[in-house]
Amino acid sequence: MGEFTSGFFMGDQTTNGRVLVVDDEADVRKVVRMTLQKAGYDVLEAENGEKAIETINSGENRLLLDILICDIRMPKINGVEAIAYFRANYPRVPVIVLTGFPDADMATSMLRQGVVDYLVKPVEGEKLRESVARAMEQRELAHL
Amino acid sequence: MMLGRAVIPPLHPGSHAVQPLTDRAVASKLAQTKVAILGAGRGGTALLDLLHLIPSIEIIGISDRDPAAPGLTRAKNLRIPVADRVEDLVYNHGVNLIMDVTGDPEVERFVQIHKRPETEALSGSTARLLWELVRHEANLQTELFHAEKLAGIGSFAAGLAHDINNPLQLIMGLAENLAEETDLKTVRAQAQEIVEAVRRTSAICRDLTQYARKSSARDETMVCLNNRLDEALKIARYAVSFHDISVRKEYEEGAAARGNPDEILHILVNLITNAVQAMEQGGGTLTLTTDHFSDGVTLRISDTGCGIEPAVQDQIFEPFFTTKEPGKGTGLGLYNVKAILTKMRGTIDVESRVDHGTAFTITFPSALEGST
Repeated sequence: MGEFTSGFFMGDQTTNGRVLVVDDEADVRKVVRMTLQKAGYDVLEAENGEKAIETINSGENRLLLDILICDIRMPKINGVEAIAYFRANYPRVPVIVLTGFPDADMATSMLRQGVVDYLVKPVEGEKLRESVARAMEQRELAHL
Repeated sequence: MMLGRAVIPPLHPGSHAVQPLTDRAVASKLAQTKVAILGAGRGGTALLDLLHLIPSIEIIGISDRDPAAPGLTRAKNLRIPVADRVEDLVYNHGVNLIMDVTGDPEVERFVQIHKRPETEALSGSTARLLWELVRHEANLQTELFHAEKLAGIGSFAAGLAHDINNPLQLIMGLAENLAEETDLKTVRAQAQEIVEAVRRTSAICRDLTQYARKSSARDETMVCLNNRLDEALKIARYAVSFHDISVRKEYEEGAAARGNPDEILHILVNLITNAVQAMEQGGGTLTLTTDHFSDGVTLRISDTGCGIEPAVQDQIFEPFFTTKEPGKGTGLGLYNVKAILTKMRGTIDVESRVDHGTAFTITFPSALEGST
């Protein structure tokens, strides 16, 4: 499976980057989309890990996705499994966990797997945007 | 200095000085116990609740000079005869043990004078001591039940956090947006969304605080089993993940049983949680069934999960038996389920096949009053 390149690095200056939000709650996806779109990101949505894998492997997303924001407790393929898949197949795409359950053991395990941030809902818009901006910097450095 | 040692003489062969009763002899003696309870206040009610659970004891009747005594209503619910007069029980030829918990010296004298010679009587301070012991045992059982329920609520943390923090995320995002939003129509719509999200969140807290409260032994009523199953499903969703689990309901309209609604809810949450945990690997179907039959109502909770090993099926209702990992189960869940059902004169049966699933069938005795 081929690693993809950010729209940012492909010279597509229309957005700050493309973010895939994976959460089983439509309400959460909606507000994350709202928050990030205001900051100039292009936002895709998936309701579970299975859909996220389908989304990332379809069309241009394989090439253009920059960041994954993923919940943990989800149906079908849960966040832990989905993140393991993404880390194995798309190691240069930074992953941010956005979960409703603050669990120190889970956070440690996720950060060891290379997750760049572990955010607990409800997260403020500014904090989310900062986290995504930092992840974008890491993405950029990974390509240098 | 050597300490003296008491010498215990051996029993002579054939000695009958100490004649332990064999199990059969004890059972036979107990089988003859036909009890009359005098006094239907707190003491009489506590005795009634305990003695009716013991198969070898038959309660011939209960009586109290106060027709409004709580034990008389309890006896009617348990289908135990209520005698109009204390005298009727004292003279009753079928009684071989009178338990007088009236605390009334006049009744005590009457019993001593008029009881049949072969009938034994417990009264006065002996009866009070017995009552205290029974009440203490009942309190311990209530505490144990509540402790197990609270321990189970600990496992709700992940589900609760999910169901509370998601609406909070919506509220946070919308509120931040409203601070900048200029379109009045959007402001109104998003404000309404916030109100709905707050309502959903507060409903979770209400459900759980109701579930966590200590149930009173006295609030028995007719309970609609279908409603309780739906409520238990809602509560169980906090404890276990229903992802990849489909729920099938096969309810008989009007299925009801007499009991404590909180205790019945706890039984159902317990059994549903176990069923879903049995399907953690690979999902499956949870089927909830209620059905009438001639002498009562059955309620069945079945799963298509991992099943129970035949070798341990006889142990699952024993206290502190668990197949769950350390720290994940108290081992008191099914023990309490059975204890509550026995109190309600119900039964529970299990059928299970490894890798095929498990079905718990509860049978409640018939009850025909209006239900809640």
